[in-house]
Amino acid sequence: MTLDEVTPRIRTFIAESFLDGDPKGELTESTPLLEWEVLNSMNSALLLNFLREELRVEVPLASINAANFRDITSISKLVSGLTAVPAEGA
Amino acid sequence: MDFELSPLQRERYAGINAAVAERFAEHETCTDPELVRLAWKDAASIGLTGMCLPEEHGGAGLGALDTALGLEAFGRSCSDMGLVFGVAAHLLSCAVPVWEFGTDAARELLAGMAAGDVIAGNAMTEDEAGSDVGRIRTTAKGSGDAYVLEGEKSFVSNAPIADVFVTYAVTDPAAGFLGISAFAVPRELDGVVVGPPLPKMGLNGCLAARVRFEDCVVPARYRLGAEGSGGAIFQHSMAWERGCLFAGYLGLMERQLAECVGRTTRRRQFGRKIAGFQAVSHRIARMRQRLESARLLLYRACWLLDQGRTDVGAIAMAKTAVSEAAVANSLDAMQLFGASGYLADAGIEEQLRDCLPTTVFSGTTEIQLELIAREAGL
Repeated sequence: MTLDEVTPRIRTFIAESFLDGDPKGELTESTPLLEWEVLNSMNSALLLNFLREELRVEVPLASINAANFRDITSISKLVSGLTAVPAEGA
Repeated sequence: MDFELSPLQRERYAGINAAVAERFAEHETCTDPELVRLAWKDAASIGLTGMCLPEEHGGAGLGALDTALGLEAFGRSCSDMGLVFGVAAHLLSCAVPVWEFGTDAARELLAGMAAGDVIAGNAMTEDEAGSDVGRIRTTAKGSGDAYVLEGEKSFVSNAPIADVFVTYAVTDPAAGFLGISAFAVPRELDGVVVGPPLPKMGLNGCLAARVRFEDCVVPARYRLGAEGSGGAIFQHSMAWERGCLFAGYLGLMERQLAECVGRTTRRRQFGRKIAGFQAVSHRIARMRQRLESARLLLYRACWLLDQGRTDVGAIAMAKTAVSEAAVANSLDAMQLFGASGYLADAGIEEQLRDCLPTTVFSGTTEIQLELIAREAGL
């Protein structure tokens, strides 16, 4: 999946799941999700589940860090990069 | 779809069950640290302290489902659930992260952990950080090849007899949950202060205490995973714990059910077995139904773990089902045993006290339900 495909899906998931739909439209691609505690322990688990079940991306535990989950842009880059990796044996 | 255990799984379960029954036949819950350590050695002699660790580290290399079956057998034949809990917590929330994320130096601890010689405690919970682990205040400040830990953990299972603490501390305060790092902290280090055993309602065979880190210098080689990966490591270890540890309670419920069937078929009132009263037999039917449905959820959650899938909803449903079944069944058992169940000798009141905390530890029922509901799209 390309960055353009991934980004809106992640943004929509975060807005609807963690921010009551973000009625004021405050969520941007650079909103600091960790610093503002949008991504706490519970929401992180739900986001990872969403990536796995809906976007079919298994994020390696070594990639679950502050740099990759700082904001929507960094998460989208991570997911896009992981989907670009050819499947084993392909 | 195949609901049958393999012949090897059945054989292994029977073997552990028989070994536990023999080794712990005379064992009663004890709180003397020396006696608790001896009980750990007995558990280790059956291989229970290292089941899922690789053979190269002294374990048996079992997957999550097979480890759960081993712990189920442990709970089936050992009435000291505190011991079952303590061993399982040591293995799942401490040994597993050391094995999967530790440096070679940290992994040197594993042989001792598998042998039950090195006992571990999981040091995460703090006074202001229970379910919301991102609120921990213990800090680890890096200074070259070492970190300085400062802070206090409020509830560390196994702490009074522990030799190492898998400890979580903040290394990057601005990164919230992902600013936490994990360390294997040997107890012998200066600045590790273990408090006296905490008086508890149940699980008394698992001693617990507060642990304080005072200017405690921890070599960087004891960090688990990369800096900042502690939150993810903790979640991973909780997936193992919520899946496998609770299998011990399946064993308890199986044992309890057999005791209730025995009691109600022996006990006669008004000229017949009390099991002949529908109010009694239906209570037992519901106990069995709760046990079997919880067992299916737990086996599935562990099977998913073995497929490399940490399914948050499946694990939360299994944890909730087992813990709520354990509490409900223990209350039923108390009712079925009548006045004798209220007395300590029957062991039923101990089962109830040991089951009550299951809806709290390893993530409260409330948090598990929140995860299940939100995963459903609420």
